Amino acid sequence: MTDVTLAIALPLLGAFLLPVTARRGLHWFGALLGPTVLALSALVLFGNASVYEAPYAIALGGFAPPLGISLYVDPLALLFALTVPLTTLLLWPGDDGDAGIRRQSLTLLLASALTGLALSGDLFNLYVFYELAAVASYGLAAGGGSSPGFVAAFRYLLISALGSVFGLMGIALIYFQTGTLNLAHLATLSEQLANPQGLAAFAMLVIGFGVKAELFPVNGWVPEVYGAASKRVAALLAGLASKLAVLAIVRILLLVFPHEEARQLLLVLGILGVITGELAAYQARDITRMLGWSSVGQLGVVFIAFSLPGKAGLIAGVTVAMHHLVVKSALFLLADRWGGAIARLKGAASSSRPGAAMFVLFSLSLLGLPPLPGFWSKFLVLGGLADAGSTLQLAAMAIILAGTVLEGAYLMRVITTLYKPVDAKAMPQRQHPGNLFASAMFAAVLLCSAVMVNPLWQGLNAMAESGVDTKGYIETVFDGKEIPR
Amino acid sequence: MTTSIGFIFFIGAIGLGAIGIAGIVLANHLFRLVLALAIAEAGANLLLILAGYRWDAVAPIVSDPAVVQTMVDPVPQAMVLTAIVIGVGVQALALTLVIRIRQRYGTLDMQEARQRMQDDLDAAAGITPSRSRERPAGGRPLPAPAAAVEAGVQHD
Repeated sequence: MTDVTLAIALPLLGAFLLPVTARRGLHWFGALLGPTVLALSALVLFGNASVYEAPYAIALGGFAPPLGISLYVDPLALLFALTVPLTTLLLWPGDDGDAGIRRQSLTLLLASALTGLALSGDLFNLYVFYELAAVASYGLAAGGGSSPGFVAAFRYLLISALGSVFGLMGIALIYFQTGTLNLAHLATLSEQLANPQGLAAFAMLVIGFGVKAELFPVNGWVPEVYGAASKRVAALLAGLASKLAVLAIVRILLLVFPHEEARQLLLVLGILGVITGELAAYQARDITRMLGWSSVGQLGVVFIAFSLPGKAGLIAGVTVAMHHLVVKSALFLLADRWGGAIARLKGAASSSRPGAAMFVLFSLSLLGLPPLPGFWSKFLVLGGLADAGSTLQLAAMAIILAGTVLEGAYLMRVITTLYKPVDAKAMPQRQHPGNLFASAMFAAVLLCSAVMVNPLWQGLNAMAESGVDTKGYIETVFDGKEIPR
Repeated sequence: MTTSIGFIFFIGAIGLGAIGIAGIVLANHLFRLVLALAIAEAGANLLLILAGYRWDAVAPIVSDPAVVQTMVDPVPQAMVLTAIVIGVGVQALALTLVIRIRQRYGTLDMQEARQRMQDDLDAAAGITPSRSRERPAGGRPLPAPAAAVEAGVQHD
């Protein structure tokens, strides 16, 4: 078994090596460095596949928890961590001079921080990795060098930094009451947090980590940043970064706040996210903003799914999150050349048939057409909600279905425009071959998972089994040592 | 005595946070927004320090192992050190973005910068400008400014 810390350390090293080597005229080295580092990091994570039998914890620097910082590797963490280098490889930014080098280096920094976010087992460590990811994404958002990009990045920075202040206050509140920030240690003390102060701390942490997860009240930055930044960056932030932020919230929810009120809070915020996101996406007149708002709506569904208790909730949430990662990243890649007004896309299908076909495929999966994975993800969420069956959960069900109708309306509007006869005056742009290739890879993942439903289901089951096993988490981290009260 | 001092510090921490958050919500000047952010972060850091503070203890530095003294909890202090460093970095980045916005749009007004950004994004996407407070839906003309109405100026 390879040391899993390498998956965090290697991209971090690469991020700082890249600008130095590029300046010394070692261009071939710089061009190879990023993809190599990411591939190695993916290999390291693949080498840890044995956690499916037994999750394990690492005490960093040899300091035993709860004093030291621990990393925790279980199937849930491994799955999310593995998506980081793989998705980053597919969304690897092109090399165009100095700006390209900076973008690549920031992308590596983002990948490293997101991997850390998946594996960390300590609240403050989560905060640090989250901040690292946030700083990298500010740079990526402003990196295009366009004037709107700077304003969008500044507003994103303000919202995100305000979220961090809330998160820090939440951490302070938790430390007040428990005197520890190790997630496993907090899990043993979760009863102490079942009070208004505890709930306030949870709400603050959710607001803090929710900025990146495009959670309802703190997602004003979404359409601006995605509109102003390059579409590969938008795909990285909407597809990948948001999922890892969700994982951080889910870890805190499962281990530290297994209370009904905390779930209720996520459910309500998720419902509001679905309503606002889908309505705004319906209103949008250009593809980029439409996709941005629709991803807000989809992440609302993710939060609704994770608010379901127990294994069912975890399975449903992971399915929706992974499906959204694949589909939204690919749709943003296709929007790179087709990002303008919807009306401008008249006849785009004739200029790039595979691109249009993939757009249809991803849209249908997003809607939930039966053989595609999108159907299963929505089915699991709706089924879970129906099983739980409180009034609020039934309302959430109705809202998800209504949101799907809206989704259908705006996605079909784009699809019909794509297949209209071409307008001689304004030829839509052809798709870039690189983007086509990357989204074809995403399409392959989507179709493979549509075929292999059964093995995937078993894998998810095993993952959820260990994911909700709080006792196992505590025992693994403390490894039989006495747990301080 | 010590409790009342602690109480004042708590009020101070929460007050700083509240001032900062109110500033971010209410201010419209880019530089004031950055300042408000700095104040809010100071509040959060103070709260974290207070989480592990003991009034009857000394700084957590062992100078003589033979002398055992009560020390304050070093963990929050280490964390606040990290948080301060992160905060400084983020504020510096925010200031460079402010400079860039000033260079490109010639304004330090958030509302105006945001409006120009929306216009630029709309122009790049090839759609007519989005609705805003200045451009309501449906193409209705805005009501004439109060002063103009009073002076009897015709407004078309």
